[in-house]
Amino acid sequence: MAVAQGLGPRQDRTRFQWSSLVMLAPAVAVLGLLFVFPVVYAGYLGFTNLALVGSRSRDYTFTGLDNVTRMMGDYVFTNGAWLTILFVVGSAIVGQSVLGMLLALLLRNAHFSVRAVVGSVVIVAWVLPEITVALIWYAFSQAGGTLSILLHRPDTDFLVVVPMLIVSIANLWRNVAFSMLVFSAGLRNLPTEVLEAAEVEGASAFRRFRTVVLPLLKPTIVTNLLLVTILNLSEFTLIYAMTQGGPGNETMTLPLYVYQQAFVFHQLGYGTAISLVLVVIGAVFSLLFVRASRTQI
Amino acid sequence: MAVAQRVATPHRKELIVVPYRRVSAAAMATNVVLILLGCFFVLPMLWMLFAAVDSNPDWAIKLPSLTLDNFKDVLARQDAIDSFKASVIVAGTTTVVTAILSVLAAYPLSRMHIPFKRSFMLAVLFCSGLPVSMLIVPVYQMYVYLGWLDSLYTTALFLAASSLPFAIWLMKNFIDAVPAELEHAAAIDGAGTVRILREIVLPLTLPGIAVTAIYTFINAWGAFIVPFVLTYSPENQTGPIEIYNFMGSHGLFKFGDLAVFSLLFSLPVVVLYLFMSRYFSGAFNFGGAVK
Amino acid sequence: MLSEVRFEGVHKIFGTETVVEDLNLTVKAGEFLVLVGPSGCGKTTTLRMLAGLERPSYGRVFIGDRLVNNVPPRNRDIAMVFQSYALYPHMNVYDNLAFGLRSRGASGSVVAQRVTETADVLGLGQLLKRKPSELSGGQRQRVALGRALIRQPQVFLMDEPLSNLDAGLRVQMRAELSRLHQRFAVTTVYVTHDQVEAMTMGDRIAVMNAGRLQQVDTPQTLYDSPANMFVAGFIGSPRMNFVPGRLGGAQGRRTVEFLGAQVPLTRGQDVTREPAEGRVIVGIRPEDLQWKQDAPAGDTVSVQATVDVVEPMGHEALVTAVCAGELLTSRFPPRSGVKTKDQVELALDPARLHLFDAESGEAILKRPPASGTKQASVGEARMDESA
Repeated sequence: MAVAQGLGPRQDRTRFQWSSLVMLAPAVAVLGLLFVFPVVYAGYLGFTNLALVGSRSRDYTFTGLDNVTRMMGDYVFTNGAWLTILFVVGSAIVGQSVLGMLLALLLRNAHFSVRAVVGSVVIVAWVLPEITVALIWYAFSQAGGTLSILLHRPDTDFLVVVPMLIVSIANLWRNVAFSMLVFSAGLRNLPTEVLEAAEVEGASAFRRFRTVVLPLLKPTIVTNLLLVTILNLSEFTLIYAMTQGGPGNETMTLPLYVYQQAFVFHQLGYGTAISLVLVVIGAVFSLLFVRASRTQI
Repeated sequence: MAVAQRVATPHRKELIVVPYRRVSAAAMATNVVLILLGCFFVLPMLWMLFAAVDSNPDWAIKLPSLTLDNFKDVLARQDAIDSFKASVIVAGTTTVVTAILSVLAAYPLSRMHIPFKRSFMLAVLFCSGLPVSMLIVPVYQMYVYLGWLDSLYTTALFLAASSLPFAIWLMKNFIDAVPAELEHAAAIDGAGTVRILREIVLPLTLPGIAVTAIYTFINAWGAFIVPFVLTYSPENQTGPIEIYNFMGSHGLFKFGDLAVFSLLFSLPVVVLYLFMSRYFSGAFNFGGAVK
Repeated sequence: MLSEVRFEGVHKIFGTETVVEDLNLTVKAGEFLVLVGPSGCGKTTTLRMLAGLERPSYGRVFIGDRLVNNVPPRNRDIAMVFQSYALYPHMNVYDNLAFGLRSRGASGSVVAQRVTETADVLGLGQLLKRKPSELSGGQRQRVALGRALIRQPQVFLMDEPLSNLDAGLRVQMRAELSRLHQRFAVTTVYVTHDQVEAMTMGDRIAVMNAGRLQQVDTPQTLYDSPANMFVAGFIGSPRMNFVPGRLGGAQGRRTVEFLGAQVPLTRGQDVTREPAEGRVIVGIRPEDLQWKQDAPAGDTVSVQATVDVVEPMGHEALVTAVCAGELLTSRFPPRSGVKTKDQVELALDPARLHLFDAESGEAILKRPPASGTKQASVGEARMDESA
C-alpha cells in the first residue's frame, strides 16, 4: 500500500454513533438487570447454602463444592438427571423427531383436505397453552378417563402406573408440530431433480428415502435435534401440572427438582446448583450436535 | 388430480365426462395413516370440548347433554374473571415491552457497524435457550430483595427480559430484509434519522413486529412457572395458575367449569395463531404451502 | 444555481484494499460527466463519496465552493438515482415524489404544484396513485428520476440507472436523459460500466480503472487520443488491436517495426517518451484497418493476413485475421465474399496509429491535431490529472 505520505490522518475511522447507544440502552438495561445479572448471580448462588427462610436466609456463606458433593450422594438428583435425559432422548430426540418427520413426509403426499385438517390439528396442539395440554392429558389418563375406557381398564390411573410414559407422550403430542414444520420446510427445499433421478433409476420409495433424502436433510435434522433438545431440556409446566414429580419421585426431572428444592424445601443454593447442572447438560448436548453437524458433508 | 368436466355435445344435451381416476394403494395408505394420527391428536382435545357443554361431565369423553350452564357459571365466577384479567395484564405488558425494546435494539444491530456482531448474535440466540429454571431462583431472590414480588407488572418485566433475546434475533432478521438503500435514498432526500425510522423503517417492518409481538404474546399467555413463583395473592394469579389450582382440588369443583375455563383461556392464542398463519406466509402457513 | 464538483486528492481504503487512489477531478458546472470503468474500478465508491454515503479516507470533496467532507447527505443539496431505484415501496408515486419536499417542510400547496409539474415532464400524470410494485421497470425509473428532479438540487448523481432496463428501453431512456439534461442543465455525475452509454451521453467522460483515474476528456478526444492502453482498449467497439512493435530510426525520421512491416512515422508525429529498448505496443482500431481493395488510395501500409473468423453484422462484417502470428480485427464491407482461410491484404493509415510504451502502457505518440477537432479540449484534458 503506497499511500500514507503526508496525507494527514484518516478521515473515515468508524465514528461512534450515539444514536445507536440510545436505541440499544433500554434493551441492554432490562437484559442486564433481569437476565445477565441473574445468570451470573446463579453462578455464585449455586455454590452457597442460601435458604429461603430461617437463619440461612440471612447468614449464608459460600460453601464451595459442598452442593456438588451433596448432589453426588443425592439419589433424587441422580434419578432426576437420568429421568431428564430419558425424557429428552425419548420424547424429544427420538419421539418428536421421528413422528415429525413421518408427518412431514405423509402430509406432502396427502389429499389436500386431509393435509389441511390433520396439519391444522397438529399445530393447534402446539399452540395451546401448556397448562391446557396438561389438563386434557390429565383427564385423558385418569382412572375413568378416555384412555382407561379405551383400554378397558376403567380403574387404572395411568399417571400413577406409567407416569413417565404418559408425560413423555403428552409432551410429544404437544411439540411434534415444531419438528413437522422444520422438516416440511427442509423437504420443500430439496432439489427435485435429484429425487426424480433416483426415481427414474428404479429406487423404491424407502430406498430413496434412506439413500437420497436423509443425507440431503442432514443439516435440517441436526438443527431440529439441537433445537428440540434445548427446548425440551427445561420442560417444567407440563410435567409439574400433571404429576408434580410423583408418584414419589418417578417423574422428578431436574427442572422439577430445582423447583422443589428451591421453593418447597427453601434451599435456594442447592436448587440453583442443580439448575447449573441442567445448563451444563444442555451445553454438552449443543456441543455434540454442533460437532456432529461439522463432520457431515 | 382428475376433475369431472362438462362437455357440450351438438345434441344440446350435456355429457359429463369423468376421466378414470387411479387411486394408488400408497396414496390411500398415506391418507388413512394420517387420519389415524389425526385422531390421536384430536382425541384429548375432544374431552375439553364436550365437557364444556355437558351438564354432567366426567373425566372421559362422553356424549354431552348439551348445556350452556357451564359457560354461565364460569363467566360469573370472580376468580375466573380475575385470573383472565391478570393474564391479560401480564401477557399484554410483556408483549408491549418486548416489542418496543426489541425493535429499538434490533435497528442498530442490523444497520450499524458493531465489532463482533456475528458472535454477539450467536450469544443472543444461545441465551434464548437458557432454561428458565436457572433464572427463576436468583430472580426470585432479587425480587424479594427489591420488594417486587407479587406484582403483575414486575412479573411481566421479567417475562419480557426472558423473551427479549429471541425477539431481538427475530426483529434483527426482519429489519435486515429492508434494503438499506431505501434509508440512503431517504437521507439524500433530506430526511433525518427520526423521520427515516418513522416513515420508512417502521412501516416496512410492521409485519415483522406483528410476528414478534404475537409470538411473544403466545408465550407469555401460557407462562406458568414464572408467575407461579413470583406472585401469591389470589387476585394476581394468572390463567394457567388458576387452572392448575382447579386441577389440584379434585372433586371439589366442577369438571364442566374447568373445561370451559381452559377452553376460553386457550381461545385467544388459537385465534392469534390462525390470524398469523393467514396473513403471514412462512413456516406457519400450512394449508397450501406444502409442495 | 449550478455548482461544480471537485475531488482533491481523494483516496478510499476499505480494510487493506485501496478502492480509490489519488482522485483529482473537476466536474464543471452544468456538465454531464460520465464516470466509466469496469466493475470494481471505484466509480460507484467515488459517487457514494460525493453523495455522502461514504467518507473519504483522505482528500477533500467540494460541491460548489463548499467543503462537504463532513456534511451529511441530507444537507448536500444533491439528488441521487440508484441502480435499483430505491422507491419507497409502501408509498404511492405521489408520496414518493413528495417525500423529499415534505422532509424539508414544504407546504402542501407547494408540494402539489411541484409534483404535478414533475409528473408532467416525465409523463407520470396517470400513475400518481399507483404503488411502485404496480409499475413497469421504465415507469419506476422515471419515478426515480422525478424524485431527484423535483428537488432542483445542485448536483445529480446517477448510479447505473439504466442497467436494469431491457435493451430497447435503455436506448429510449438514454435519449430522454440527454433531453432532460439539455432542458434543466444540472451538474450531473453519471456512473456506468457501459462505454456506449458513456460515449453517447457524456459531455466529458472520466475513465477509471483499479481505483485510478485514467483520463478525462470529451468522447471524441478519448477515442482519438487515448492516454494509455487501458483507455484505448476500453473505448471503441470492437476493441482496438494491439500488436507488439519496435521503435527505431533517428530523430526526425522515426520508424516503427511491427507485423513484419516497417512504417515511418508521418510528418508531425512525435514521440514524447523513449520506451526501454524501443519496445512499444502498436494500437490500430478495426475501423482504421481496411481491406486493401476497399481502401481509398493514399499513404497506406499493407500487410498480408489469413482470415480466421468472419462475423457478419448486416451493415458490415467483422473479420478477424492472422498476420505474423497476431490476431487482427477489422471492418469489412458486408458482401465482400471473404471467407475463412482466404488470404487478404489489409491496409492501414500510419497517421491513425497509436503507440504505447510496452512496459507502462502509456501513449507515447503525439500527433498533430486533425483538422476540425477541438484542440481546446485536449489542453483542458489536464493529462497530468490522470494516473
